[in-house]
Amino acid sequence: MLPAHPFNDLAGWVEQVAVLPLLYRFGLMQWSELSFGWTLVAIYGVTQMLLAYAVCVPLERAMPIERWESRRVVLVDVFYTFLARVGVLPVMTFVLFYAAQVRLDGFLADHGYVPPMLETIFPPLFGHPVITFAVYALILDFADYWRHRLSHRFRAWYALHAVHHAQRQMTFWSDDRNHVLDEVIGFLWFMAVGLLIGIPPLQFPLLVLILRFVESFSHANIRLSFGRIGERLLVSPRFHRAHHGILAAGERSINYGAVFPFWDMMFGTADFSKDFAPTGDPAAPEAMASGGWVAQQWSGLVHLVRSI
Amino acid sequence: MTMLPLSRRALLAAPAFLGLAPAFARAAGTTPPICIVLDSGGSRVSVIDMTTRKVIHTEPTLREPGHWALTPDRKTLLIADASGNALFFFNPETGHERGHKLIPDPYQLWFSPDGKFLTVNCLRLNHVDIYHADTLSLAHRFRAGSMPSHLSYTPDSSTVFVSMQDSGTLVAIDLATMRVRWTAPVGKTPAGVMWHDGVVLVAIMGSDHVAVVDPATGRVMRTVLTDKGAHNIFLTPDRSELYITNRVAGSLTVLDAKTLGFKRRIPMPGGPDDLCFAPDGRLWIALRFASRVAVLDPASGAVDHITVGRSPHGIYLSTLLTDTAARTAMRLA
Repeated sequence: MLPAHPFNDLAGWVEQVAVLPLLYRFGLMQWSELSFGWTLVAIYGVTQMLLAYAVCVPLERAMPIERWESRRVVLVDVFYTFLARVGVLPVMTFVLFYAAQVRLDGFLADHGYVPPMLETIFPPLFGHPVITFAVYALILDFADYWRHRLSHRFRAWYALHAVHHAQRQMTFWSDDRNHVLDEVIGFLWFMAVGLLIGIPPLQFPLLVLILRFVESFSHANIRLSFGRIGERLLVSPRFHRAHHGILAAGERSINYGAVFPFWDMMFGTADFSKDFAPTGDPAAPEAMASGGWVAQQWSGLVHLVRSI
Repeated sequence: MTMLPLSRRALLAAPAFLGLAPAFARAAGTTPPICIVLDSGGSRVSVIDMTTRKVIHTEPTLREPGHWALTPDRKTLLIADASGNALFFFNPETGHERGHKLIPDPYQLWFSPDGKFLTVNCLRLNHVDIYHADTLSLAHRFRAGSMPSHLSYTPDSSTVFVSMQDSGTLVAIDLATMRVRWTAPVGKTPAGVMWHDGVVLVAIMGSDHVAVVDPATGRVMRTVLTDKGAHNIFLTPDRSELYITNRVAGSLTVLDAKTLGFKRRIPMPGGPDDLCFAPDGRLWIALRFASRVAVLDPASGAVDHITVGRSPHGIYLSTLLTDTAARTAMRLA
């Protein structure tokens, strides 16, 4: 049988040979309805990593912004990526979001309401799943712009977010370099948005991959601009590097957008003039820049306590 | 938050559901037999021409269509979209959508044999909702366990039995008094439920058997070995055999319907879930994890596959409208 939907079929195969037998072995079959969704998300994560690796590594070698003698500190970012894309975090997010959604939806149902989703808020979207997905993508990116901007605005929050900015050897692996508490805040943020507008349908793997790829790609060590118009349509390595520049760290940063630069242009935080500045946060502790995963996380906590 | 229907089409839903506006439905027998596949992973329903075995059209839903129920007058097919919080109304002959109504978390659902009630299991929200079948207004909400999964009625419609996937229990609800008669442990992760010859059969998905339950007390009288991950139970139209889909093993187990004795095992990789019997004796089986429907000829063992959807879950054949034996075996009202 040829695969009809490669991602679904691969997830289905993993589900049958690994996930279901494990759930069965450990007496967790009540989660078998949901586990296919978990598996699919993990497959998206792995594919996204492979895609980013296949595209970014050759480009980082061919046209790097910086060359380094040692890439040891990049290895920690690789670990962050595994953790965030295929490891514990997606499953935890899934489980926590599910638990919160069950409580809220149950509360609404008991009061005679049905939880909202974009197509029920704006009925013409019904029957147009690709457009619905695109609207979800825009709204979620808009929400992320404000989450990101506020994470720079508040000292205590930035103390955690500084883990992301401390990296002086920024590569496509750096996208997921975040403090766990910063991830938790981000999760709560998106949970609130998800509860307000529902969650997008999962049947567009290519669109999911493209959006996630743009986020990784924008961190890549590649001397690349999308040109005058392209820079204003999609976040490029040049545009996002300006956000990570040593002079932009902290409370007065620029270019907060993750996928689309529109929000920065709309709210006056876009700066298209910066050209591939060195990255890092001079005010961040050294352990946050060059320590291992545990050292970075601990340093973030200490930084948080000192900031309060 | 809204209780309003989504579109103008939804305005047609209530009268269509009540059987008052079926004028646009084609006359019985003039349309080719179709198979409707509920694609949980693709947020849509696919309609297959049973003769050519080609997908002839698809219809959108909101998120996760899973199970279906045919209205007592057989004029409307209800399709439950659990995470979309919607009940869709379809023409059961053509597979065209007629509208929908927002209700919380409809997972598995079935009309009582007397046609008075529609029981809806809300697996995610942990409640069982009993609706008046004629108006679709909520009659009673039960919180009797965690993750209500599948259901079956007594033939006299006095009781509905609901399996609680997370609690490991079976719950008997008295529909006359709207009270829980009993709650009894039946095994790890019970799923499919079927009233059969005076007992209740429950597929035990967390194990490898079907539990035979006393409908008066909920006591498990015996267990019948099937295969790992026993998920759902189906009676053949000639009432001679029971088919059990086994989700973990990827197989079907065939039992003698009278003795519950083992007859044979049929490998069915791909996550067999719902199935439906066609008049030619073939079984149309949704393969949850293979983006396909399998068509099994039980006489020869030959299996054909039809590529459809991302995660086929529920499956309905329009031949049920005229196949009385198959309908009776499925306990359709």
